[in-house]
Amino acid sequence: MAYAYLFKYIIIGDTGVGKSCLLLQFTDKRFQPVHDLTIGVEFGARMITIDGKQIKLQIWDTAGQESFRSITRSYYRGAAGALLVYDITRRDTFNHLTTWLEDARQHSNSNMVIMLIGNKSDLESRREVKKEEGEAFAREHGLIFMETSAKTASNVEEAFINTAKEIYEKIQEGVFDINNEANGIKIGPQHAATNSTLSGSQGGQQAGGGCC
Amino acid sequence: LCMLWWLNVFKTLTLALVNVSRDCECSLKERSSTRPQAQVSVTRRKNLEFEPLSTTALILEDRPPNLPAKSVEEALRHKQEYDEMVAGAKRREMKEAQRKKRQMKERFKQEDSIANAMIIWNNDILPNWNCMRNTRRVRELWWQGLPPSIRGRVWSLAIGNELNITPELYEIFLSRAKERWRCFNETILDNDVQADRESSLDLIKLDISRTFPSLFIFQKGGPYHDLLHSVLGAYTCYRPDVGYVQGMSFIAAVLILNLEEADAFIAFANLLNKPCQMAFFRVDHELMLKYFAAFEVFFEENLPRLFSHFQINNLTPDLYLIDWIFTLYSKSLPLDVACRVWDVFCRDGEEFLFRTALGILRLYQDVLLQMDFIHIAQFLTRLPEGMAPDSLFSCIAATHMISNNRKWGQVFSALTKDGNKEIANHSPALRS
Repeated sequence: MAYAYLFKYIIIGDTGVGKSCLLLQFTDKRFQPVHDLTIGVEFGARMITIDGKQIKLQIWDTAGQESFRSITRSYYRGAAGALLVYDITRRDTFNHLTTWLEDARQHSNSNMVIMLIGNKSDLESRREVKKEEGEAFAREHGLIFMETSAKTASNVEEAFINTAKEIYEKIQEGVFDINNEANGIKIGPQHAATNSTLSGSQGGQQAGGGCC
Repeated sequence: LCMLWWLNVFKTLTLALVNVSRDCECSLKERSSTRPQAQVSVTRRKNLEFEPLSTTALILEDRPPNLPAKSVEEALRHKQEYDEMVAGAKRREMKEAQRKKRQMKERFKQEDSIANAMIIWNNDILPNWNCMRNTRRVRELWWQGLPPSIRGRVWSLAIGNELNITPELYEIFLSRAKERWRCFNETILDNDVQADRESSLDLIKLDISRTFPSLFIFQKGGPYHDLLHSVLGAYTCYRPDVGYVQGMSFIAAVLILNLEEADAFIAFANLLNKPCQMAFFRVDHELMLKYFAAFEVFFEENLPRLFSHFQINNLTPDLYLIDWIFTLYSKSLPLDVACRVWDVFCRDGEEFLFRTALGILRLYQDVLLQMDFIHIAQFLTRLPEGMAPDSLFSCIAATHMISNNRKWGQVFSALTKDGNKEIANHSPALRS
């Protein structure tokens, strides 16, 4: 299917916080109570609409274990958005956010939009991190924040879509150089057709892809 | 149209229909020239013993009283169509029966050959392991897949025990691990211990529940839960410098399925001690890139079209190889296929892991050539479920690990000697 833009996302955060489950809920609208372990990286894709434009999200779901950090670092390149996930029932996953953020800022382009996500909001009785703490952390570091539940699907759509909206606004404001693919944004055939200033080759390349 | 739709529901109805067909034929003759009475229809419906679906009714029943009756020709035609369908169903049933018979024959043949192979392994090969293991006959038999009953033993022998680990040593490390778990449970709220959580203990617990979840044997309460916990725990005490790294739980699980506890540990520790596994589990990024670069040399050699398709799409081998190598395919391939890969991996070493990767790419080459980046990435990180071992193995057999007269080991060591200059910039060294 034709799309106006393609955004690359990366999902990061400690192991077991529910990164793969968030992705599965977003792409397949289902929850798997026992998800396979992610080794290396897995992928998802979905089309969304913002401001009447079709936007394809290409999502990189990474392994969370500390040992894999050096591998994960190489996947930030060319990401337009990052979902930084912690588990509201495990304080340590919240405590590690600073190192994740350092990594993300260091290895991505400076305009990458980062959404902080406190996942497992359905497990209120086991909560170890208050919502206010997440909000404060996000405010302090200039991130968008949301609590989600991959299990009940609460806020999952919003988390992915609001991130895209933020990226889209940055494009409108001219913050992103959309012709530089290192920014994690590609222009799709839909857009290229209506925008004569763009080179044909870019649109042509994308046209080869199917839908998601 | 009616026929087509009918064919779809035919499978489920065939048996019932064949039984009642004689009844229907009779009633059809009786009523073909006269208008039907509602009463007749109702009793016949009862005879059918199932609620006739719309098309059954169309063919077998006369029209409702408010519509003109079927003409003789039409009734005859319907009867003929109906007979054809019944005959068709019978033909299909025969075919199905023949297929089943062939399948059974194939299975018996396979079971026979496994039984035969088991005798050969038990009587000839295993007692003379050292002098026979490299003979052509044994290597060929090995390629066919090891009989499950001796699989663990052959793996153990082939992996060896360079580390000289004894069952007693395993017990020592296991009791150390148990001691640590006890301390951990007692001081779970202590912040110092919290720092250690992610590195081993808690993580092992979390990951065991995510290891082959569909088998339901390693999860809490399952028969192998404690075993897997023990082997991984003992390993982190044995090699604290490596610790527990994700992916290990899959390797330990496959070994536990084929070996006794202490033997599984010995094989596990020795397997992880092999250069390729050490490079990966220590996440030595530099060295991993060299493995990927060597892989790409053979990728280009074996599948040049797919290779350039991947290059155009920026699809680097780390995206799929990391998962495959870390878990030795046990997570990505069906377990029976993975075990056959392990068989030959034990025979041929690390080279076979990369040869298998090329076999998978060859097997799916045609579909992969039609895909763009994201579809290839998704496809390779979640391979189709119903992969037949024989088709994979014929693709692996067609993959030759020779490039410019150089073997895997030579290509790899040339890359490690070259230093980093060629590999430094993301796209690994390809041309020598």
